[in-house]
Amino acid sequence: MTSSATIRVQLEATLANRIPSALTPAKKVLRPVAPTGVAAVDEVLKGGLPVGAITEMIGRECSGRTSLALSFLANLTQSAKVCAWIDVADVFNPESAAAAGVDLSRLLWVRCGVLADKLQRATKEQFTLPDKYLVSPPTKKGLHGGGYSPHPRGEVKGLSGAVSTFLREEMIAPRCAEPQPRVRREPEVFEPNQRPVPKKWGGHTTPRKPWSRIEQALQSTDLILQGGGFSAIVLDMGSIAPEHASRVQLATWFRYRASAEKTQVSFVLLTQHSCAKSSAELVLRLYPGDPLNDDATVFTGFEHRVEVARRRFTQTPSNAVPLRKPPQNANVASWSTRSTWAGVR
Amino acid sequence: MTKPAELYACLYAKEFPAQTLLRLRLELRNRPCVVMEGELPLQQVCSLNTKGRLLGIAHGMTSVEVDTFPSVAVLTRSKKEEASTKTALLECARAFSPHVEDLSEDRAFLSAIDIAGTEKLLGPAETLARNLLHRVKALGIAACATVSSNRNAAISLAKGLPPRTAVQIIPRGDEATTLAPLPLRVLGLTEEHEETFSLWGIRTLGMLAALPEGELIARMGQEGKRLRQSARGDLPHLFQPMEPAFILEERIELDSPVEELPSLLFVVNIMLDQLILRARARVLALASVTVTLTLEDKETHTCTVRSALPTNDKQLWVKLLHLDLNAHPYQAAILSLTLSAEPGSTSKVQLGLFSPQLPEPMQLDVTLARIRAIVGDECVGSPVLNDTHQRKGFRMEPFTVSANSTPVISSNRFPSASRQLRSAENVSVTLQSQRPKAFVFRDKRYLVERIYGPWLTGGEWWNPTFWSLEQWDLVARAQDSTLLSCCLVRDLMQDRWQMAALYD
Repeated sequence: MTSSATIRVQLEATLANRIPSALTPAKKVLRPVAPTGVAAVDEVLKGGLPVGAITEMIGRECSGRTSLALSFLANLTQSAKVCAWIDVADVFNPESAAAAGVDLSRLLWVRCGVLADKLQRATKEQFTLPDKYLVSPPTKKGLHGGGYSPHPRGEVKGLSGAVSTFLREEMIAPRCAEPQPRVRREPEVFEPNQRPVPKKWGGHTTPRKPWSRIEQALQSTDLILQGGGFSAIVLDMGSIAPEHASRVQLATWFRYRASAEKTQVSFVLLTQHSCAKSSAELVLRLYPGDPLNDDATVFTGFEHRVEVARRRFTQTPSNAVPLRKPPQNANVASWSTRSTWAGVR
Repeated sequence: MTKPAELYACLYAKEFPAQTLLRLRLELRNRPCVVMEGELPLQQVCSLNTKGRLLGIAHGMTSVEVDTFPSVAVLTRSKKEEASTKTALLECARAFSPHVEDLSEDRAFLSAIDIAGTEKLLGPAETLARNLLHRVKALGIAACATVSSNRNAAISLAKGLPPRTAVQIIPRGDEATTLAPLPLRVLGLTEEHEETFSLWGIRTLGMLAALPEGELIARMGQEGKRLRQSARGDLPHLFQPMEPAFILEERIELDSPVEELPSLLFVVNIMLDQLILRARARVLALASVTVTLTLEDKETHTCTVRSALPTNDKQLWVKLLHLDLNAHPYQAAILSLTLSAEPGSTSKVQLGLFSPQLPEPMQLDVTLARIRAIVGDECVGSPVLNDTHQRKGFRMEPFTVSANSTPVISSNRFPSASRQLRSAENVSVTLQSQRPKAFVFRDKRYLVERIYGPWLTGGEWWNPTFWSLEQWDLVARAQDSTLLSCCLVRDLMQDRWQMAALYD
């Protein structure tokens, strides 16, 4: 009788071509980390964000995702590494990045969906006056002071035809006593108003589907990941609604994870809701912070809060259930950001 | 230091118009080809390849006569292509000596090379001639080379070499003997002289050389003396070396208008081969490649691609050109194609053991070109801040990886980042005593918790009281306790509120 261990080995050997080590749990990998530059966060993350893996930063607008990502990039670019920012919604502000200390010459910024917007705007703004409002081209001077014909005879050419068009049948009909054949009148056609109806709020509320932007971003990310050499890639889907962001297939994130591992890139994903699922090595959930109340007249900044929502390989590989509750890791950190005009306190 | 004895090599390529055209048309090399010259319908054969000659085609045949032969490729003579091929050949000759003289004729390429004193460096004359021919063959041209201490003797011999001989050396003092069996046509006689000599029964150079000098001058004048000296191989000459500029350019005029990109790239591939060969001969690499297309609608379409480092990697250039032509498509069929390149020094980058990982420059070029094709030209690069207070205060510059870094000084340790809404979204705002109290943004109603502002910007600079923009920083909360910290802008001219940025 074959033991379960033998069956397991046999199964794994059979499936080895398709699924390597199918029944063995993945080995724990100790990844190198790159510091984010925020001491409190680095302490919770035990050094920083993992290199060669996907880190997902989840949070709503104004939760501090961008500040944390920029701080991470600033640290990397200052140590002469190059990074990429794939900007899905074209909201990246280079001035903020420069203020955070990012060396902009070492940052590749890919703006998605700008071209389509531009084209759309160009077609909207196209406006041409009808011909009747334009100055008519100068008439060609003929032999006898005006007219197109070199001979006076030519000036009356086609006159009879032109006159007959004025004398339409309905114009003549009432004057004539004899019965006239009924002329079928062409029904008048009213063209629909081509001008778009203005919206309720006088402007658009981003009705454009962002899928083309996302597709551009995913293709660009693929290319940059395959090329290698970048130390960090930030895919900024933070302004994309969750219903669109979650349409990205899980296979894409799985592929990114494999590429990031191969090229040793820190892949940072900014989203509103979790997208990468199990492909993400580290998931950070950021909460909308409390605004700082240092000054009554100017906006001074935020107190942000971050929680480690998921981290791979944190469980101890033990089947024994301890009697006591094991010590829990601190997984919440907070830090404050200050607006550039607030000054140092 | 004694002056080395005179020695000249002569490079001669006959049927030059045909060879030029077949050089970049590899598929026609195994077929009989003729090159026609002149205005329609009076076109005549001006040049042909060996297969055409074996078929029975001869110079001067009309197009009607050529049509009687089966499967003959008929091409039209292109002087521009000949000029670029000639430049390539002269450049090749200059690799062996700086003194090169161009003596090309209408239908043949001919150049004399002063190779005196090159023996120690480049080997004996025969080796040099064979190396020269080897290089010329790489350019796609079949030629022959002769070496003599008299330039004119070398030229005459080159013109009269038997078909299968590629190299011949005339030993010093043996000029007359070597030239003796050659026919008179190698001297390029005028019709009058040709007739006179045929009447006299003179057919070879040896017979001309044997004529008494005095009597010949009495009958033909000084021209007779010159011809006799040429036949003996002792005509003095004046060598006029030229200084050709190093121009990497190849041109091809297509036989029929081409529209498809793959067929165009096939031609570009062959031309790049030639450019790289020429650049490599000077230990250089291509820094940028420009394609100029002459289109059917008389327009020209130019595209230039550059790589981060000068390189001779043909596949990289083809890929970059492919992506660029895809991104900027031409509007009509292509009639001719010029490929020019700027040479750059071949550079090796020394990487450090502890230097951080950086993208490989060549690979990065292709990646960036691919991304440009996806998102557009102006949407990829590194941002550079402009010294301005305007809202779009940056410009995009091509992304390059430089080894030296510029120190960045951050004034603030953790600044609040902002996300700029470039197409500003309109917001409906409820005011209370001229200050926003609530607003609706993206179909969600927010109640303002904190408000900072307004800061006035823009307007007529000559009017101290008029402002056109108001800027407010708001912290607002929605009913589902979503916090929003944003920068609202009020356009006072149009009384419109817009969301400019979100603090994140």
